[in-house]
This record gives sequence, structure tokens and C-alpha cells, in this order.
Amino acid sequence: MSLFKDASIPAVTAGFVAVLVSYSGPLAIFFQAAQSAEISTAMMTSWVWAISLGAAVSGIVLSLWLKVPVVTAWSAPGTALLVTLFPGLSLAEAVGAYLTAAAVIFVIGITGSFDRIIRMIPPGIASAMMAGILFQFGVGVFESFASVPALAAGMLLAYLFFKRVTPRYSLVLLLVVGVVLAVVLEGASLEGVSLTLAQPQFIRPEWSWNATLSLAIPLVLVSLTGQFLPGMAIMRSSGYNTPARPIVTVTSLTSFVTAFFGGITTVIAAITAAICTSKEAHEDPDKRYVAGVANGVFYLIGGTFAGTIVLLFTSLPGEFVAVLAGLALIGAITSNVSAFAAHKDHLEASVITFIATASGMSFLGLGSAFWGVVAGALAYQLLHHPWRQASREARREAA
Amino acid sequence: MKHIEKGVGLASAPRDFLRDLNADNLSAGLVAGIFGLSAGIIHISAGTAAGLPQEFTLLWVISYLFINGLFGLFLPAYYRLPLPMANSIPGALLFAAIIPIVGLNEALGATLMAGAIALVVGLAGWMRIVMWLIPMPIVMGMVAGVLLKFGTNMVMPLQNAMLPAAVMILSFFFSARYLRRVPPLVVTLVVGVAYMALSGADFSSVEFSFRLPEFIMPAFTLEAFLAYGLPLALILVGMETPAGVGLVKGMGYKEAPANGITALGGFGTMVSAFFNLHSTCIAAPMTGICSGPEAGTHDKRWVAAVIVGIIFVVAAPFYGFVFSLIEAMPSYFIAIIAGLALLRVISSAMHITFSGKHEVGAMFAFLIAVSGVQIFGVGASFWALVLGAGISMLVEFRDFEFSRESKAARAAGEAA
Repeated sequence: MSLFKDASIPAVTAGFVAVLVSYSGPLAIFFQAAQSAEISTAMMTSWVWAISLGAAVSGIVLSLWLKVPVVTAWSAPGTALLVTLFPGLSLAEAVGAYLTAAAVIFVIGITGSFDRIIRMIPPGIASAMMAGILFQFGVGVFESFASVPALAAGMLLAYLFFKRVTPRYSLVLLLVVGVVLAVVLEGASLEGVSLTLAQPQFIRPEWSWNATLSLAIPLVLVSLTGQFLPGMAIMRSSGYNTPARPIVTVTSLTSFVTAFFGGITTVIAAITAAICTSKEAHEDPDKRYVAGVANGVFYLIGGTFAGTIVLLFTSLPGEFVAVLAGLALIGAITSNVSAFAAHKDHLEASVITFIATASGMSFLGLGSAFWGVVAGALAYQLLHHPWRQASREARREAA
Repeated sequence: MKHIEKGVGLASAPRDFLRDLNADNLSAGLVAGIFGLSAGIIHISAGTAAGLPQEFTLLWVISYLFINGLFGLFLPAYYRLPLPMANSIPGALLFAAIIPIVGLNEALGATLMAGAIALVVGLAGWMRIVMWLIPMPIVMGMVAGVLLKFGTNMVMPLQNAMLPAAVMILSFFFSARYLRRVPPLVVTLVVGVAYMALSGADFSSVEFSFRLPEFIMPAFTLEAFLAYGLPLALILVGMETPAGVGLVKGMGYKEAPANGITALGGFGTMVSAFFNLHSTCIAAPMTGICSGPEAGTHDKRWVAAVIVGIIFVVAAPFYGFVFSLIEAMPSYFIAIIAGLALLRVISSAMHITFSGKHEVGAMFAFLIAVSGVQIFGVGASFWALVLGAGISMLVEFRDFEFSRESKAARAAGEAA
């Protein structure tokens, strides 16, 4: 089999690092969602099992099939969305929304309309909503200064230091330093952490309008603009002219299955993709797909021992998770804020989207991400009148 | 005095004021004035939280409006720039917290010294160095972070006062789109007042009162200076002036008199110390309202700042009355008006923050300012600047003007 012939230590290492980074940073957001949903450790284990398995299966299948390093993961902005919606939203409703989102993404994938839809969304509005969802996590880092100043300051310094010295491993090293600081400064105990096999738990889905509008629709939007769009861009900038259709379709099919066990939408990775598609994974671009496969295999291992990962996170103080999640997202927040703030056209509509989303208000039972898009779209039409411009341009062309 | 920037002068100011007055700057000045009046609530709640007698808190706010308003007449008129004066809010929180510890006269003594420091910094022309150490994107990151709160406060009323909030916000956008002649803020004000009249807001608790600022003799102790005077001086010089100057420049003015603002603020703070007041300085949110696009054409926005001063001085003796009036109004009213007035200011501030150098430092300044965290009793906006600049030096030193890379790039530019 050619996979073993193509395998190399750098490619396998890249896959391992990508998984480690995902578990170090973005997983912390998922834990915050679990905390706000007030679910049991067993249920949390099932969630982690489901997202790991979704990423593993879709990543291995796509990498082997397309022979390119396709790194998949769970929708990080989607998990951020959850934090504000729980506990108002029930688990059953959340799963129903995951299924709706998977179905919508599947249709988008199979019809090949991904690129067309991406073009329809004003880029500033999309980035502003992303930034608004992720923003609270960044602010959370500094809010933690009030309750755990030493831990927060130590982790902030460690983050800055590692970011400067070894950007690639900064999140992993930050996790290590953070755990040490939490044990030394806050007296956290790791005694309860042991190797345990995960047992998935089935959740019966329930469909509701509320969950569809507050979770499913924003989830589709952030998954398309926050994961698929940058993920595909990273693949293309590394020289892989992979079509979006198989990737979108396969990940949505996996999402459909994992949803029943609490797994949020599986998507192409944005934060960790570059680790496996870059030259560091392998000199020969045709052999980097091994990194994608390895990434999947390590997710499989991680999913199998999801219980251990959950035990590690639950034995550490909540503030630790908050600071870790916030620092892991600083890069994403900065790139999204600058993406909309740096462009003068439709700036006001973007800022309105950002403010409304970041406010965290809920109204008629619907979350702020939904209202952010509504307000942004309304302001976009009113203040920047694209309709009038379009018709004026059409007239000019006719003349 | 050679470092103090030259302005247009005061002699022709009253005549020019009447000449330049228009609907845009009048409405912006009115909104900024109402905003400034409502800021007195911050003093009252800070004073209450610190256990200060209500009698004193009222005097404090009356002095704030009267003295800051007086200085606020001259600064914008002299420079013909939208530079409204008020007091430092982080300073107010520090002041209220320190009085029970060191005593009122001692706290005011420390205020006097802080004012003297600011005056010296302004006269010596050292603001250039301060602005050099804290680059523009970081200052604007802090400003954007502070102002963002007013933006989110604007949308929060949608949760529990949906109808009036939605009507007011929508009236602003529709008039911005369709009624080109009338300033959208005026439309929103009218709509808001009309709604209150129709829904029958209860004004029965409004009562009349009249008081003037009272003289008090400051006392000096080292303890008060270290715990409060020094931080206040740093806030005035390192935060309030850079925020104001940054805002005015961000709104498209080429020059802003950093030394003049600091020196006058320092002098004003020294005067304040004799009247139960903790500071006089340029006020960032009001500067935003007066210097922003809602205030009309650039050359006439200064009028808005003078109007703020007039409103302050006139309203000061009646503040007991004004306060009961504000109390009677629904809380969303001022939140929405202020948020709308600042919307485009927040947009520009974010644009300046994130369109170039010092990206990491600016992001941290922004996040810290939003978090509102207090460290060693000093507010977030101060730490946003200090930590933002510090982190920027750590991660992106090449972006600083005095770094070797910047100098090399400039030299290369000049050679080419």
C-alpha cells in the first residue's frame, strides 16, 4: 500500500501537533460550552468522543481519497456560539440544530454552490459576526485578572513568550505551563486523571424554531465563513487545487452521524490546517496527505480516550479554561476584527454587526449572533445602499 | 510658553460662534451636553459605593459641571477645534475610593499636585514623548474599547424595552438614509421624547434646587500623593490627553494641541482642587460626539464643544434638578442617544486601530479596555495603554518609530 511507502516522520509529527493544538486551545471553548450547559462528565466525554471521531473519519477518508492533506475538525466558532446559548437551549434542541445545519451544509456541498454563497455574504459582515462571537473569550482573559491575577498574568506572559519563540508549539506549551501554574498557584489536583475508554451517549434530537434561528443558521454561517472559507484558502495557498464539493459533502455527512452523540458540526480546519499543508509536513506536496491521515488517526486515539481528556480539563479551575480559550482565540479575533475594520466600505454595517453580536443580548429568545446578522444586513441595505448602486451600475452599463 | 500650540484666538470667538452655528453642531453639542450631564450619575454611584455623604457628592458634580464647563468654553474657542472639557472618569473612581482612606482635604491636595505635574508636562512640551511611547493604534484601541461599551449599551435595551428602543434606533437609520437635511440625531431625540410623552413617563419626582460650587482648602500628605495623586497625574497625561488627541486626529483633523490640552487641563485640575473636584481634562466620549461626522463640517465642529461648555455652566447650579429629571427618564433613552452619536466614532476608532502597525498591542489594548478590569485600584483604560504599549514593545518592537528597523526604513525612504 502506497500509504506506508509515502509515510514519513515529519508528516506524522505534523498530524500529531495539529491534534495536540486542537485539544489544547479550541477544545477549551467546547468545555466552556459544556460548563454553561451544566452537563455530566459522561455526557461531556461523549461530546469529545463525537467531535474527535467526526474529525478522524472525515479527515482520513478525504486525505486518502483526494491524496491531499485534508485536516478536519469541529467548528470552533460554532462551539463559541454554544457558550452564550446554553443553558436556555436544551441538549435535544442543540442536536436538532446540529442536524439541520448538517443538512443545509450537505445541500450546499452536493449542489456545488459553496463559492456562490460565499460571494453573496458581504465579507465585512461575516468577519464582524465571527469577531463578535469570539470577542467575549478574548475579554474573558482580562476579566480573569480580577479573580486569579497570578494565573492569568503567568499564562499571558507564557503565551507572549512562546508566541515569539516558537509560534507553532505556542498553544501546546501554553497548556503545559498553564497546568503547572494551576497546580502550583491555585492548588488544582490532577490525582483523578486516569486512562478511561469513552462511552458514547445517544441524544434524541428535537427540532425547534428557536434552535434553528439562534443556533443552526448562525452555525452554518460561521462554519462556511469561519472554517470552510479560510480552510480552503489555506489549502489553495499551499498549492492544492482541491474542489470544495467533496470536502463540504463528506464533512456534513459525518456531522450528521456524530450529531446524535453531541458532536457539533465537523468542518475543514482553519486554525490547525496550515500545520499539515505546509512544507514542514513534507518536502514533497504529494506526500503531505500522510499528515492528514495521521491527524485523523491521532483524533481516533484522542476520541477513544476522551474520558481522560475530560478528566484533565474538569480537574483544572474554570478560570484556567477561560484564559486558555481566550488566548487560543486571540489570533482569530485579531484577524477577524482587522478584516472588517481595515476596510472603509460598509464599515458601519460591519461595526453594527460586531456590536450587536458582541453585546450578548437575547431577544425573543434568539441569540445575539442572529440579531447581529439581521441588524448588519439591515444597516448594510440602509447605509450603504447596494441596491441603488447595483441599479445605477446596471444603468451605466446599459448606456 | 513656547511649547504651547498657537490657536486662532478668543477675540473673534463670540462672533464666529454665531456665524458657524448650525443644526449639525447644535444637535451634536446638545447630545454631548446631555451625555455629560448624565455622566454625573457615575460620580453619584461611585460616591455612594465609597460611602461618601450625598451632600458632598452633589457638590462634587456641581463643581464638575461648573469648572469643567468654564474651561470648556475657552479651549475649543481658542483652538477652533472640537475639544470639550470634562473630568477624568477613572480619576473620579479613584478619588471617591481614596477619600475615606486619606480624607477629603488630603485627596484634594494630591489633586493639586497631579494638576501641577500635568501643567509642567504641557508647558515643557513633553507630550511628544508620551505620544511617542504610546503609538496611535494602541491609544485608539483603548478608545475603541472604552466606547464599545456605549455601543453595546445601545442595543441592550432591545431586550426589555424593545418597542421604544427599536423605534429610536430605526428612526436614526431611516433618517440617515432618507432625510438628508435634518441631522439623524435630532430625529432620534424628537422620536424618543415623543414616545416618552405618549407613553406617559412619570416626572412627579422632579424637584427644583440651586447650589453653587464651594471653596475648600487642600492639605498635603505623601500617602495621598502616592496612592492617588501620582496615578491621577499618569491618567491625565498618559491617557486622557492621548485619547482626546487621538480621537480628534482620527476624525480627520491634522493637528491637535497635545501640550495645550495638557497644560490647560493641569491648570484646571489645580483650580478644581479648591472646589471639591478631582480633575479637569479633555473628555473622550464627548470629544467623540463633538468631533465626529454627526457634528457637520470639520471647520464648524468646534461650536459643538463650546455648546457643551455652555450647557455645563448653565446647568451646574441646578444639578439637583437635572439629576431628578434624568432619574425620571427611562434609562434606555440616554443609552441609545449616546450609542447612536458614537456609532461612527467607534467605526473610525476601530478602523484606525486595526489598519496597520502595532496590531497585537492594539488588540490587547482594545480587549483590556473592554474588560473593565481594575488592577491596584486603577481602571482598565489606563492599563490598556500601559500593557498594550508594553506588549507591543515585546512582540512588535520594529513598529515603534524609534526602533532601528523604522529608522532604517525612514532613511531608505528619504534616500529614495
